[in-house]
Amino acid sequence: MNTRPQSGKNTPRSPRWSRRDFLIRSSLAGAGMLSLPALLAACGDDNGGSSSDGTGGGGGGNSLVFDNWTAYIDDETVANFIAATGIDMKYLETYNDNNEYFAKVQPVLSKGKKIDADILAPTSWMAARYVSLGWAQKLPLASIPNKANLRSDLIGPNWDPNGEYSLPWQTGTAGIAYNISATGREVRSVADLFAPEFKGRVGMLSEMRDTIGLILMSEGIDPSTLTSFDDAAPAFEKLAKANADGQIRQFTGNDYMDDLDRGDFAVCVAWSGDVIQLAKDNPDVRFVIPEEGGTSWYDSMIWVTGSENSDAVAQWMNYVYDPENAAKIALGSGYMTPVVGVREVLEAMGGEEAEMANDPLLFPDDVTLARLRVFASLGEEEEAKFDEEFSKISGA
Amino acid sequence: MSTSSRVGRWGINAVAILGFIYLFAPIFVIILFSFNDPAGKFNIQWSGFTLDNWADPFSEKQLTDALLVSLRVAFVSTIISTFLGSLMAIALSRYKFKGQGGVNLFLVLPLTSPEVVIGASLATLFLNRSVEFGYTTVIIAHVMFQISFVALTVRARIRGFDWGLEQAAMDLGASPMRAFWKITFPLILPGILAASLLSFALSIDDFIITFFNAGSLVTFPLQIFGASRVTIPPQINILATMILLASVGIMVLGAVAGSIRRKRLGQTL
Amino acid sequence: MTRTQRLASFTERPELVGLGVLLLLGSGVILLAAEITSGALAYVVGGLMALALVGYATTIVRGTSDDRRSIAPYALLKPGVLWLSIFFLAPLWALFVMSLSSKESRFDFFPDFTWEWANYQEAFTRFRPQFIRSFTYAGIATLLTILIGFPIAYVIAFRGGKYRMLLLGLVVIPFFTSYLIRTLAWTTLMSDNGPVMNTLETLRLVTVFEWLQIVDDGRLLSTPAAVIGGLTYNFLPFMILPIYVSLEKIDTRLVDAAMDLYSSASSAFRKVVLPLAIPGIFAGSLLVFIPASGDFVNAQFLGSPNTTMIGNSIQDQYLKQLNYPVASAMSFVLMVIITIGVLVYTKFMGTEELA
Repeated sequence: MNTRPQSGKNTPRSPRWSRRDFLIRSSLAGAGMLSLPALLAACGDDNGGSSSDGTGGGGGGNSLVFDNWTAYIDDETVANFIAATGIDMKYLETYNDNNEYFAKVQPVLSKGKKIDADILAPTSWMAARYVSLGWAQKLPLASIPNKANLRSDLIGPNWDPNGEYSLPWQTGTAGIAYNISATGREVRSVADLFAPEFKGRVGMLSEMRDTIGLILMSEGIDPSTLTSFDDAAPAFEKLAKANADGQIRQFTGNDYMDDLDRGDFAVCVAWSGDVIQLAKDNPDVRFVIPEEGGTSWYDSMIWVTGSENSDAVAQWMNYVYDPENAAKIALGSGYMTPVVGVREVLEAMGGEEAEMANDPLLFPDDVTLARLRVFASLGEEEEAKFDEEFSKISGA
Repeated sequence: MSTSSRVGRWGINAVAILGFIYLFAPIFVIILFSFNDPAGKFNIQWSGFTLDNWADPFSEKQLTDALLVSLRVAFVSTIISTFLGSLMAIALSRYKFKGQGGVNLFLVLPLTSPEVVIGASLATLFLNRSVEFGYTTVIIAHVMFQISFVALTVRARIRGFDWGLEQAAMDLGASPMRAFWKITFPLILPGILAASLLSFALSIDDFIITFFNAGSLVTFPLQIFGASRVTIPPQINILATMILLASVGIMVLGAVAGSIRRKRLGQTL
Repeated sequence: MTRTQRLASFTERPELVGLGVLLLLGSGVILLAAEITSGALAYVVGGLMALALVGYATTIVRGTSDDRRSIAPYALLKPGVLWLSIFFLAPLWALFVMSLSSKESRFDFFPDFTWEWANYQEAFTRFRPQFIRSFTYAGIATLLTILIGFPIAYVIAFRGGKYRMLLLGLVVIPFFTSYLIRTLAWTTLMSDNGPVMNTLETLRLVTVFEWLQIVDDGRLLSTPAAVIGGLTYNFLPFMILPIYVSLEKIDTRLVDAAMDLYSSASSAFRKVVLPLAIPGIFAGSLLVFIPASGDFVNAQFLGSPNTTMIGNSIQDQYLKQLNYPVASAMSFVLMVIITIGVLVYTKFMGTEELA
């Protein structure tokens, strides 16, 4: 279209609309716009008392919503559970990152409103936060007899001493993963993460506790005994220096697996379950718990405030702590089960499952367990300081 | 034509072709990897050709549901924002009025704000007014940033428009409304369509603003970003390829319809 | 003046009425939506807005056609402006308040307003490297989009013929796939053993690129170049479309005349086509530079800890550190710098409007 711009184009000689159209238009527009805030307010009033976040679970009823991490369960358990108990369960997988999810639910829970999920499975330190903020309810422990099957070291952490608010879902370890075709040799210790030969091809986890935890152990400091930031300062300094030298390629979440697979990472801090899965298809990828020791982590189920489905919650937890069911879940998730007796179930199954029963990464023996540490739980201010300093290094 | 012009001519063509290759390089990778048989949970390394993925494109239910949600949101928000934005563009380019500079600045402001800012502040507003998060809030948020794009794009497009044409039509006896619909509107329609296309794409792709305002609603980018920490199934590539094919199809249809229309117009004239 | 006379003179300035109503309605909804006024005061504001509408209606009904003409633009603007006022300005005000607040506990969601200018200080000092980096990367990316986008737009506008719309469509289509998927595809392409690096190695260009500081010790990914490349790629259509729009409006006869005059295509180009394309380049640069400086996805996937941009930092402060006041302060600083930059750029380019 090649029109020539005309001077005076902005002064048409007669009205653009007839008077009637104009009246109609502008009054409609005006009315519409004025009613919009009213509409919004009306929306608000309608939902004033109830949930402000999608459809809520029925009160005290027969339904259950469990929002969990992705790929953290097998294919059958939920369906079996529904069939066995008749409870209307919805299993969601939108919990992708502790901080992200917290930021999402914080506004809602701070206002005392209810969120969608009845059960969440945050990592232990995040579960601690929920508990300290009063956003977790006391579990109906009396109705969960199978909790007797749990590993005793996973119940009653110091942020929940009586084990009233949380119960473990799965647990795992953080150690070092490496791609042997990229490294050219075996890797055994945290010191290898700082080896100049791997400069620019080292990955660290954005999960502060695992990364700093490993480095602390290589410095001879026990991460489970930290009381303040100064205790951990040497690890932070070492990490900061390595970053400034260009040693570290990236800080990642689970997505280190791509880079490891491709060889973009020669070595990286990694989680056991991920690497087990990857190693099945890429034998170049290996996982070790470092000589200096590794960190142990676990995700805890909590019952979120505002939910009223105590019966359903109890039934679910009881169900998943039965060794038969727990075995299936463990097979599906690839991580360590907190339930004692799963090992025997797997051995009985024979074949591939029996092999898994002997995998030290899934069923650590006492010697391995002795080399693992859980990161100390931090108070709010300390945690803030740790997070800040870590962010400064990871570049944010 | 002199040799230097000829070289220049082919030079520019070559650069443009390279540019198109550049534009489509990742797309090629995406389509290619939809045929990949990934070794593990991440469809990032090539490990084998397979047609299995295409046999079962909707197997990732959460992903497909998220895509449908995104399409719905994009559709509604594009309609609203195109309407509102075009009105503003027409006002800005057709009339000279007081406050024009101010409105210009006002339109550009949402584009200067980081998405985190817009998303988070909007979420705070909704919370304070106890508005339920879901389709409504996401659509409102999308329209909000789309309006600026639409208004600026349409305005650029109709900048040189000869408003005298309308006047001519009215001199010939048409009412103002008729003059608008029969003369002005068809001529500025391409600009409006271009703007709505752009805002549709923006809406489908939006992540951060949606993240803060979606509540439990899951859109396509949210699902991908969220799940991508743990798994990138080939179904993502398949859905992406399908979107691509659909867009190409619509485009071709539009072109065909356009040429039919032109032929018909040519015949009547 | 008697009252009727004053009223009459008021309606004789319908422009003012139009503008006034617009401003009043706009600020009214902001005040109400952001809950700056509440209770009785809110009713006062509501009343004023109603009065404004009445005045507006009066002008329409009793005014002349000239009056209606001058009020018309305000009517057209009203819906859009109101939408933006409620959903953009009101939240922004709340954010500004937040930026001057402080939180007692990290997990407080509603901070207290305490005129905490320290937030801004922190934003300026601690995050200065990220700010500078963001503007640098975005600036380079903008230049690159001009270099790559202009030929494409030119070819479509002048050589496209009847395939123009189709070609334009082809430009936009890749961007119907998710931003994230595209960026992930780039990680595949730019991986250490991926196609790009392999090509460079076969062509023996690796050392050249390392000298240019594009490749870092055999790595293309996790470098500033990768981040800039990602930014360039993802914002390319935002440059192509505006340039195309301004090129397309050029009358080809002008170009022909210029060729006759200057007897060389490149001079014709420089003296005629390029100046006419400037508005498009201008608009495109804004559409690229501004979102690029606030981006975080590219830096997160394609970069390293030393290439983080201000967008990453804001996100980190907001989601991880839960430090909303500082995050808000950073956002405001970013917005202000960009706005000032845009104003300066506008003056420099000499266009009277912003697009």
